[in-house]
Amino acid sequence: MILLVVWSVTPFVWTAQTSIKFTRDVASKTPVLWGYETTANAYRNFWLDSDDVNMWGVLAFVLVIAAIAAALGLIGRRARHGWPWFLGATAVICVALWRFPRFWEANDEYDFLVNSVVVTLLTMLISLSIGLLAGYGLARYTGISGAVILIVALGFRALPRTAFVLPYFFGAKEIDEWLTSTGVGSWNFPLIDFPGIDTLQVLDTRLAIVLALVAVNQPFTIWMLRSFFIEVPKEMEEAAMMDGATRLQAFRKVIIPIMWPAIIATGLFTMLLAYNEYLFVRVLAPTEWTLPVAIVSLTGGESSRTITEAAAASVSITLPIVIVIILFQKHLVRGLGAGAVKG
Amino acid sequence: MNRRTFWWFTIPSVIVMLALMVFPLITTVWLGFQKLLLRDLNNPEWVGWDNYRDVLSDPEFWAAVQFTLVFVVVTVPASMVFGLAVALLLDRIGRGRAIYMAALLLPFIVTPVVGTLIYEDLFERGGLVSWLWEVFTDDAFAVSASNVKVLIVVQYIWYVMPFAMITFFAGLQTLPEERVEAAALDGAGFWRNLWHVTLPHLRLLVVFVGLISVMDAYRVYDSVFVWTGNRFTEAHTLAVYNVRIATAFDIGRLGKGNAIAVLTVIGIFVVLIPFLWRSYRDQIAERT
Repeated sequence: MILLVVWSVTPFVWTAQTSIKFTRDVASKTPVLWGYETTANAYRNFWLDSDDVNMWGVLAFVLVIAAIAAALGLIGRRARHGWPWFLGATAVICVALWRFPRFWEANDEYDFLVNSVVVTLLTMLISLSIGLLAGYGLARYTGISGAVILIVALGFRALPRTAFVLPYFFGAKEIDEWLTSTGVGSWNFPLIDFPGIDTLQVLDTRLAIVLALVAVNQPFTIWMLRSFFIEVPKEMEEAAMMDGATRLQAFRKVIIPIMWPAIIATGLFTMLLAYNEYLFVRVLAPTEWTLPVAIVSLTGGESSRTITEAAAASVSITLPIVIVIILFQKHLVRGLGAGAVKG
Repeated sequence: MNRRTFWWFTIPSVIVMLALMVFPLITTVWLGFQKLLLRDLNNPEWVGWDNYRDVLSDPEFWAAVQFTLVFVVVTVPASMVFGLAVALLLDRIGRGRAIYMAALLLPFIVTPVVGTLIYEDLFERGGLVSWLWEVFTDDAFAVSASNVKVLIVVQYIWYVMPFAMITFFAGLQTLPEERVEAAALDGAGFWRNLWHVTLPHLRLLVVFVGLISVMDAYRVYDSVFVWTGNRFTEAHTLAVYNVRIATAFDIGRLGKGNAIAVLTVIGIFVVLIPFLWRSYRDQIAERT
């Protein structure tokens, strides 16, 4: 068992060490395993724009935010109605992300972090809302078309990203050209006038990434949610409908509240998919990167300086997701069990 | 549920899949017959089967096919057997199971490109493994064209094993204890027990994990791309080769790239159609 843990964890420990070492220790021929001086330089260089920031302050800020969000998440996991707590945790993180650059001067990489968070949250939101409806419909309907949709979706699950990314790229390009040629692209919408968006376009926007991710994730989402819905006895919503509720009301008020474990499990997998995506982002968004692309681009150089920075970046990108997964580990295991037995 | 309600519930998802999966697939097939360059996207030109002739006579394509097949054939069974072994071990552990599981899950939840980068770091100059290698063999260790394929396979097993582990583990939790005890009373040893009691119980899961693993290994992109980049193009799998052809700076051939994508899709469907057909029959049977 110990050996197994060593096998799976060693690279992480090694990288975490590298990220807090001085360049001279990283560059030395025999690895300095302990007794080295530690520094947060790599983190400062990766995230911040100035060289004389006390990183303890930043660390304290991040820790406080993470603790608050984790506490809210833990409460939500136990609560009967989880969503206000999850919403609260998300709001805390978003406000922190939004205010952070007011306190410390942040780098471009900070924008990529924001992109990552925005893409992940939007993908989860859209994917789950349409997936829940479809999963429920597919679990309750007994016609042939339901079977056809499920099997076609299963087929799509198998398709490589490469079969989609090129047409997405080509299609986005065509839409953009159409937008420019008709002049629609330069319309000014006062309400969506976010800073940094001056023309309406598809290619190189977070929207393009989100849409692509929602689409490729849809087959998995509906299969998994359907297998959870099948477990819910029909009588539950039938009783509500007897009392005069419409099916949609019954779905919202009776079914959704008992589906929290399923929603969390499916949401976790969607989160992993969106947060970890590399290929779509690289092809569809030449400048609006998310963190994985930013990190890979760092490793072109071979100097020890970028090695420590890449290590710091790797640790920073890994920690949040690891914390979330550890909080919800039980749901992940149960989700795979349930999804698998039926699929 | 009647038909109308069903469609109201399902239509958003179906529209997304039609618009962003079916339609792009048709576009892929259409683009596969075009001569289309990345630097000149506005003038597609119909060239018929030229792209396919070009691909099928490209030795790099066949190298990619070969490595992809080897990759699938090695990593899928290895990660499944390994994952099952770890799941059985984990099932016996009473205390601290959650901690072990979290540690073992790490490689699977970390961003694949990042996981690959940090794994690769162990083997680069100044890395832990390359240093150990030097201590024991007195030779400098370097990632090279000759060993990169092995490293890719090992790292992928490291990455994907937790998936098999956690799924089998979830399945083991539903195994009734009486059956294991009954078998033990009848004098069944560990292996007989595994073969006659545990594995039949996990049968469906084995098929499920196998299918998902084959799909994922067949289309692997992230980790192979990070290991090889543009350095070791002979160790490219189909997906990496495909993207390289289509998006290479200045010489990206979108038409040829789409032809490769079509061939890749046909490849996976040849394997999958029996399974899809069987699940379709199951679905129909469930309904009548």
